[in-house]
Amino acid sequence: MIAEGWLTAEQAYWAIPVFTLILGLLIGFLAQRSGFCSIGGMRDLFLFKHTRLFFGYLSLIGSAFISYAIFASVLMPDAFPNWPWFGTQDSVFTPIPGAPGGLQNTDYIILAVIGGFMMGLLGVLLGGCPLRQTVMGFEGNLKSIFFIVGMCVGAILFHAYISPWVVSLF
Amino acid sequence: MNSNEDSKNLFSKLTRAPWFLGILIGFLAALLQALLISGGGPEAYGFCVACHTRDFINDVFNEITGQSLGLAPISKNAATAVLTMIGVMIGAFISAKYYKEFKLKKGTPRSYLLYFLGGIAVLVFALLLGGCPYRAALRAGYGGIVAIFGILAMAAGVFVGTKVVLWKMKQEAV
Repeated sequence: MIAEGWLTAEQAYWAIPVFTLILGLLIGFLAQRSGFCSIGGMRDLFLFKHTRLFFGYLSLIGSAFISYAIFASVLMPDAFPNWPWFGTQDSVFTPIPGAPGGLQNTDYIILAVIGGFMMGLLGVLLGGCPLRQTVMGFEGNLKSIFFIVGMCVGAILFHAYISPWVVSLF
Repeated sequence: MNSNEDSKNLFSKLTRAPWFLGILIGFLAALLQALLISGGGPEAYGFCVACHTRDFINDVFNEITGQSLGLAPISKNAATAVLTMIGVMIGAFISAKYYKEFKLKKGTPRSYLLYFLGGIAVLVFALLLGGCPYRAALRAGYGGIVAIFGILAMAAGVFVGTKVVLWKMKQEAV
């Protein structure tokens, strides 16, 4: 099914960079103010029973659930053709596209568990999730700047070498 | 206290509340999809640190080298790739400067190498999951079951990580 939003494809051509830039400015500003961090939230919960940051991540999941439900069922159903995802696919385990393409559903669950676990582990050891690292870098932390550069190199390596290699494993 | 000061306090409180940003990201991700989905998918893609960084970097890389590394359709079909992460960097920098919280913190060359390699690894693992923790949250909210497995695995990873950190602290204390 082809999804249609409030803007046409021609309008979106320019709206995509402009709107995502504004979104980023807002998130960057508020993330700097609040110290927002998903992995940091879980860490503080496990280590100190502090819930402040953890509630930030929980409220994101809750808000996404409610916002998608309202937009998809009332405001603009055409823009959300596959909502709710588990109910519109062949299997409830079909993943929303994002990971390397063309694999079985069970493979995606394996990749999600490996990816999630390692991201959580490394995030704690390095002191924050990717968003927190980006914000810390622009608060003047040079280590986080190197982390950001690493992410950029990782993006190129992933698509040039790692993704084809992972797909060949399954 | 007059009402002007009250509203200033409320603003300051809200901007410092993680739950407020959480709610805002969820809402704006849905709003952006309602506005922009004609430009291209995937769905539940409103905000993602890993994917949006990937889209921007690969777009620039493709532009320079003439290759065609993968990026999301929404970034292929637009004037530029999504600029979310450029925004985050500028927004965080403005905020840190304005509130006088910008402080240059240097590390050792070894720590720079560690963080550089960590950045590569974290991005690779995030893309295997199909998004950073934030897109995983959006996908879960959209009804993607696989993302819920990813979030639970992330919690397990964080739990093991805290044990490692505690163990290291004990070693150093002895």
